[in-house]
Amino acid sequence: MDDSLKNLNFRAIFDAAVEAKLLVVASGRIVLANSSAQLLFGYSEDEICKLTVEMLMPTQHREQHKHYRALFLKKPSKRAMGDGKALAALHRDGTEMLLDISLSSVETEEQLFVIVTFVATDQLLRVEEALQASEERLRMAKQAAGLGIFDCDCVNKVIYWDKSMRRLWGDEVHETLTYNDFLSVIHPEDRAARKAAYNRAIDPSGNGEYSAEFRVINPTNGVEHWIATSGRVHFEAGHARRLVGVAQDVTEQKMLQKKLQEQRAETECLFKQQVATRTASAIAHELNQPLTAISAYSEVILHALSNKEMDADKLTRALEGCVEQAQRAGRSLHELLAFLQKGEIKSEQLGLNNLIKEALSMVHNDGFGGFQQVLNLQPDLPAVQGNRTQVLKVLVNLFRNAVEAMRIASVSVSTISISVQTLAETNMALVIVQDNGPGLDNDMAKRIFEPFFTTKPAGIGMGLAISRALIEANGGQLWLDPDSKAGAKFHFTLPFAQ
Amino acid sequence: MTNLAPVVFIVDDELSVRDSLTLMLEQEDISVQSYENADVFLRAFPQDCIGCIIIDVNMPGMDGMQLQEELSRRNNTFPIIFLTGHGNIPMSVQAIKNGALDFLTKPVTRKTLLNSVRSAFLESEKRLNQVEHKQTAMRSIASLTEREREVMNLAVQGASNKVIASRLGISHRTVEVHKSNIMHKTGASNLIDLVRITRESELDS
Repeated sequence: MDDSLKNLNFRAIFDAAVEAKLLVVASGRIVLANSSAQLLFGYSEDEICKLTVEMLMPTQHREQHKHYRALFLKKPSKRAMGDGKALAALHRDGTEMLLDISLSSVETEEQLFVIVTFVATDQLLRVEEALQASEERLRMAKQAAGLGIFDCDCVNKVIYWDKSMRRLWGDEVHETLTYNDFLSVIHPEDRAARKAAYNRAIDPSGNGEYSAEFRVINPTNGVEHWIATSGRVHFEAGHARRLVGVAQDVTEQKMLQKKLQEQRAETECLFKQQVATRTASAIAHELNQPLTAISAYSEVILHALSNKEMDADKLTRALEGCVEQAQRAGRSLHELLAFLQKGEIKSEQLGLNNLIKEALSMVHNDGFGGFQQVLNLQPDLPAVQGNRTQVLKVLVNLFRNAVEAMRIASVSVSTISISVQTLAETNMALVIVQDNGPGLDNDMAKRIFEPFFTTKPAGIGMGLAISRALIEANGGQLWLDPDSKAGAKFHFTLPFAQ
Repeated sequence: MTNLAPVVFIVDDELSVRDSLTLMLEQEDISVQSYENADVFLRAFPQDCIGCIIIDVNMPGMDGMQLQEELSRRNNTFPIIFLTGHGNIPMSVQAIKNGALDFLTKPVTRKTLLNSVRSAFLESEKRLNQVEHKQTAMRSIASLTEREREVMNLAVQGASNKVIASRLGISHRTVEVHKSNIMHKTGASNLIDLVRITRESELDS
């Protein structure tokens, strides 16, 4: 041994230790405490040397410790107290500290000394607290979400489940149950689907995800509950070993879904009724004007006949009016029916240039005149294929819409520009109708083709919906140019005749 | 002024409706003037005759109800008859509240239309007479001097000559002279007649 070591005394080493150390005699009295120990417990050396080790423990542990001390003295060894668990010790001010305590013994000729070493376990404590807190949070989240947790042993077909899960099954007592018991409370109609979901999940070639919804019939009260479950299978050596997951009572959501479905059905029914009403009112609107004229013309003729005042010119005018209006009513009715039934339509070769001029003159005669027209027609345009009445109706509709929009906005010089172009690649003719009214904002542009959407005070909102349907029935398309800066700009196409 | 033949003004966008109703009314020797929309009618807006306006509710541009509003802004005295394809109750109530005389549904029968037009003519005549009376009354009152108007205001409230004399600080004799001038200028034959004239001059029409 190095000579210098001989000069090193026990006391100096004891005092220099980083850990708190006490030297205790068999009676339990503390005989020596190093500075770390004095600091840890809050006593001076004189004070601590008047105490027994028991005095540094919480009251409830003191008696028992005397017993442990006796046991240790019988067979002294180096070991940790409390089987490696942190133990509570008492600071002078009464606060409890969790400490790792270990014991070792030193024997002199006269007597046995026990060295007690304390290491603070604060670090450990914080980790444990955090773990506890996180478990608590998980528990609360589970509770809040109404989640139950299950762990299914796929090999032994045993299911471990937590309290929430047991509550869903109506069995509060057993912590495990057999696979068959588990199945027995599932609604018979839902068993096959659940089984299929399970089989998919335990298939080693799949992704191991389990998701199923089924009804559970509570065995104690017979009440039915909808359960949604999801989980993940753990594989071992290519075999499903465990399925861990959560289950939730979704009865309320299911009821809500059902109610929503019913409401949707009701809304749809209302919408259909609305469609029927609107269709009827569209028919009424189409027929009322000619009926009014026919009725008035007829009464004019009747009056003339009964008063024997026969102005031949006027009578002819009235009768011609009757015929014309009756024909007009018939045409409107056929068009509407053709549209509603999507019936067969007569298709013929049409000259677009002339059709546009005809539609313009119809619009003027119907009280929608008073606008400037800018025509960019193509004199040598080949004939297009389509139904004359329908294409005419679409043109009249677009022009009337333009006039109405410009009138509502009080445009000073109303102008409608109509141009005809050839789309070579699709073999179609393109017609562009643009007004100089206020145009349409984005919201309106999106909805403008919806049935019953209208921006006019007395409009029915069928015009553009019908127009689009008519153009499509003739093999073309009708759309609104969304980027038009000045006024509304409608395009439609029609195929050239072969 | 009122000896002009009564006129029906039709404002309807449908040519056939205008034409057939025109023929019908002309058989009754009623003059008809028809217009294809509200703007054209307003530009031609006739005045100073007996007549009525038949307006179609659903028209492109300014519709029938808007035309009614515009007409009342222009102090229209012609009774209005609405014609509508599919009238509903709230719409007709609103039209009548705004002073329309009638709200008829298309197709309209000859009998209904003529009844309506005839009562409109009577109403028009009444309104026109009121206007004329008012204008006459206003003109005669405008011809009075300031002192005469003061005397008249007190007289129509029932004040005796004595009260008027003391109130205005003039002699009893002067009051009598003023009163005689007032009766002469307004053409009133007695005090009751004078009360009527002053009331007519204040009437709204």
